[in-house]
Amino acid sequence: MAREAEEEEEGGEFADFLADVSKEIAQRVESLDPTPKAVAAAKLKTPVAPEERRKTPAVADAGVIVEWPNIADRLIEEIR
Amino acid sequence: MSVVNYGTREITCKIVYYGPGRSGKTTNLQHVYSQLPEERKGKMVSLATETDRTLFFDFLPLDLGTISGFATRFQLYTVPGQVYYAATRKLVLQGVDGVVFVADSQSRQLAENIESLQDLHANLADEGFDPRTIPLVMQYNKRDLPAGEISSIEDLDETLNFRGVPHYAGAAISGRGVFETLRSISTLVLSRLSAPATKG
Repeated sequence: MAREAEEEEEGGEFADFLADVSKEIAQRVESLDPTPKAVAAAKLKTPVAPEERRKTPAVADAGVIVEWPNIADRLIEEIR
Repeated sequence: MSVVNYGTREITCKIVYYGPGRSGKTTNLQHVYSQLPEERKGKMVSLATETDRTLFFDFLPLDLGTISGFATRFQLYTVPGQVYYAATRKLVLQGVDGVVFVADSQSRQLAENIESLQDLHANLADEGFDPRTIPLVMQYNKRDLPAGEISSIEDLDETLNFRGVPHYAGAAISGRGVFETLRSISTLVLSRLSAPATKG
């Protein structure tokens, strides 16, 4: 019985740690997320030279894009 | 080392437990491992000599699951504390995100603690890290030993903790202070995700 209680308490150590880390990560990824609407909006507003448009392949990697969670991720990859 | 990757939705943090031989680095990892729920228990890799000293390093991968849409992994390492494994310590420090310095509280081990701390700073500098700014937490281990055999926290702090980083009293063999230390270094490492230097 005592052992069970001990094990429960021990399991709690990791659970507490995980809860704290999760909270910290949630805050960080939100504040760091490079996918806010502002980034996409800013990119859309940036005028693109006609010659640049011609250089860009239409949908060369269309198969990959479908697997991405959203188009914002693609924008980020391209910015990089 | 990249700790947050928005492309692959992954967060990876490498934490290294550093300190003199027999200070309790492996014991820290063993306690963390013992507390993991079965479904999260991967393999803890320990390469030890016949006398149970860490020969190469210990490695404990901590898969924390998906947090806020990111697959989150912590990699916990120890280094061999014995002086003659200097090359291994440098190798393990490559790509480190945070360091836990596990000091042996025994008064007679003070010189070894100082030597190991100096070794840490030199190796960090060699690997291109700034020893003054890298996330660091001190753990003063073996606080369960008789009072006459150990230095006071204040003395240890004054001698070893000149950066004034968070410090914790520990008795890793019973688990005391282990998760507090891990939580502290994790928070420090994660707080650096906001620093531009973490990309790459």
